[in-house]
Amino acid sequence: MKTPAVLGSVRQFSTISVVAGISGVYAGFLVTCSAVFAASSTASGTAAVAAILPVVAAVFILIATYVTAVVIVNCIDTVLAGMLHRIALLRLLGGSARSLRSSVARRTTLLATAGAIGGVLVGALAGDVLRIVLVDQGQLTRTADYPWLTWWLVAPVLVSTATTYLAGRIGTGRVLRVAPATAMLGASADPREDHGPAARRRGSWALIGTGALLLVAAMWIGEVGGTALGFLVAFVGAATMSTGLLTGARLVIPAVVAGLGRILGSSPPSLVARRNAVKNPLRTTRSTMGLVVGVTLVTTFACGMDALRRSVDSWETSPAQRQQALSLLSTMTTVLVAVIVVSAVIASVGFVSTMSLTVIERGHEIGLLRALGFTRSQVRRMIVLESAALACSAAGLGIALGLFFGSAGAQSLVGFQTPGFVWGLPALVLAAVASGAVVLVLVASTGPARRAVDVTPVEALRT
Amino acid sequence: MTAPSRVVLSLRGATKTYGHGTGRVTALANVTVDIEEGRFTAIMGPSGSGKSTLMNLAAGLDDPTSGEVWLAGHGLHLLDEEARTVLRRTHVGFVFQAFNLVPTLTAMENVLLPLALAGRRLTREDDLRVDRLLGELGLDERRHHRPGELSGGQQQRVAIARALAGTPSVVIADEPTGNLDTRSSREVLGLLGSAVESYGQTIVMVSHDPVAASRADRILMITDGRIVGDHPRCTPEEIASLLIELEVGAA
Ligand SMILES: Nc1ncnc2c1ncn2[C@@H]1O[C@H](COP(=O)(O)OP(=O)(O)OP(=O)(O)O)[C@@H](O)[C@H]1O
Ligand SMILES: [Mg+2]
Repeated sequence: MKTPAVLGSVRQFSTISVVAGISGVYAGFLVTCSAVFAASSTASGTAAVAAILPVVAAVFILIATYVTAVVIVNCIDTVLAGMLHRIALLRLLGGSARSLRSSVARRTTLLATAGAIGGVLVGALAGDVLRIVLVDQGQLTRTADYPWLTWWLVAPVLVSTATTYLAGRIGTGRVLRVAPATAMLGASADPREDHGPAARRRGSWALIGTGALLLVAAMWIGEVGGTALGFLVAFVGAATMSTGLLTGARLVIPAVVAGLGRILGSSPPSLVARRNAVKNPLRTTRSTMGLVVGVTLVTTFACGMDALRRSVDSWETSPAQRQQALSLLSTMTTVLVAVIVVSAVIASVGFVSTMSLTVIERGHEIGLLRALGFTRSQVRRMIVLESAALACSAAGLGIALGLFFGSAGAQSLVGFQTPGFVWGLPALVLAAVASGAVVLVLVASTGPARRAVDVTPVEALRT
Repeated sequence: MTAPSRVVLSLRGATKTYGHGTGRVTALANVTVDIEEGRFTAIMGPSGSGKSTLMNLAAGLDDPTSGEVWLAGHGLHLLDEEARTVLRRTHVGFVFQAFNLVPTLTAMENVLLPLALAGRRLTREDDLRVDRLLGELGLDERRHHRPGELSGGQQQRVAIARALAGTPSVVIADEPTGNLDTRSSREVLGLLGSAVESYGQTIVMVSHDPVAASRADRILMITDGRIVGDHPRCTPEEIASLLIELEVGAA
């Protein structure tokens, strides 16, 4: 075979373009905004403030890129796992694992790059429109020399291409290493529980533990008369703990999902749903990790700001000063949450796509369940419950972490000025996260559930 | 109208066609047959003759294009999808050729699934029967294993335990030994046979294997969607020559 057969259709991989596109819009918008503010402050001589903007933008863009990469890895892995038989056949016919891998990686990189370029252009345009509006309203100086497009926009596209290529290598790795014979036997590609090497496992737990201790220490420093030191310790603590959680995600997330799954009960639909939710721990982790990251960040900021607001409320200041501080906090909360929520949106797209792919992959199993006596509504309930077990675990874990990080950060900053422990409970944001989770569960499960019961059991058993 | 009491399963002029126009295939042509309670029936015939189609119609997994199917006194054509599912889980046990088990459930959970679906509280008798079944099937040690950890023969035995556990009106087995070696398939057949002899279980089984079919009380031969032979118990040699006649007749 001269030209290697390409695995996976463009349609199956369309999620990759979508998430790369969203991530691109976001990056294009942030880059353009920082360029606009840089130009504006150069014109008005306040360059110092503008200097940190690109750094902040870069951090947010990298977070979104990371979430996007996880979604892409999972999409590729899931699509390929659903076509083990074809892979095995191609391997038997002499296709080398390497050529198959690079053909998939090339196609997905192309799709992501196309999405990223389109997204970055749209995002830049949105930034330009915002600039025109702000200039028109007189909030930005008219005299600055604003660029329409900056060279910096190339950076997110390059980063996206590079990460997708890497994601393609990772996503194709596990499935293409399957021996041709195993796949032909129809054995499932789901690995036995794999927690990674023991050293890495211990490393993750150590990071999580150290981070938590640092956060507790930061809270104490904040209480006894903190300076910037408390907040610095809190930041390092949160970063350490997050690193531990990210590297150890496949230990933590499946355990949380399995724990939550028990609540679902033991009727046949619940039982099968919660088993499927953790059937492939790595996939469970990848499909929910982005959600955890997004919800944690949103909750951390919202909680931190809410804690600061409560603290400000208790200070002895003039009403005017207090009013000003509160309004500044509220604006910052809105901006930060709006900026960070995009990661959660990208992760949600990935979640919906994984649910849909895995339900399609289980066509035969669903046919069998219906032959054995699952009614249509039991099949539907099973799929909704699986989606709920996953999404609710992610939201729950994210909220718990966010409340801890946010309160710890605020306490470390202003604990000594405020009686008692400073804590935040951003009711509005938490309600929004909860309703977002419910919407996500429904969006991710209605389509797959309908397709699953639309075919007759006999048709399903043939798949 | 209900079917006569001793008849568990009855097809009346059942016809199934697939496709339209020139691509039209008649998988089953006007088949009328009664399956009696407590008997072991084997269905044989060349590949593509309509055996699986017959089984799917009999179990209410698929609708006939015309004709009627009566199962345990209920006309399947009179029921909606929901009612048919409920009928299926109370009256039918399934064994397919392969991939019979729900991959995420253990052997035990797979066996108990039909009982759980029927919402049956497990009585002591159920417990004892399931225990005895698993013991007889040599699965005592395997009850907490997932299907992926079982051999093909073990998986089929679990599927048989599941089909028998709920004491259904009829067990439908479509080539249950199709993927097994000789020894495993003899074991599986022994189990089906003794379920008929000891508990009066009704079984309809598709098989290509004359030795397997020789365990049955009745052998139905099917070609091109029609029943062309209906024989009482035969020896493997007699069945083999019947099959050869069928092929010669077709040629
Ligand atoms: N979904 C379908 N669409 C079109 N044709 C079908 C479909 N299912 C079965 N057929 C056709 O109906 C005929 C009977 O098929 P069936 O599966 O019942 O055969 P069988 O006797 O079970 O064969 P085998 O021994 O190979 O399993 C065949 O010609 C088959 O091609
Ligand atoms: Mg068949």
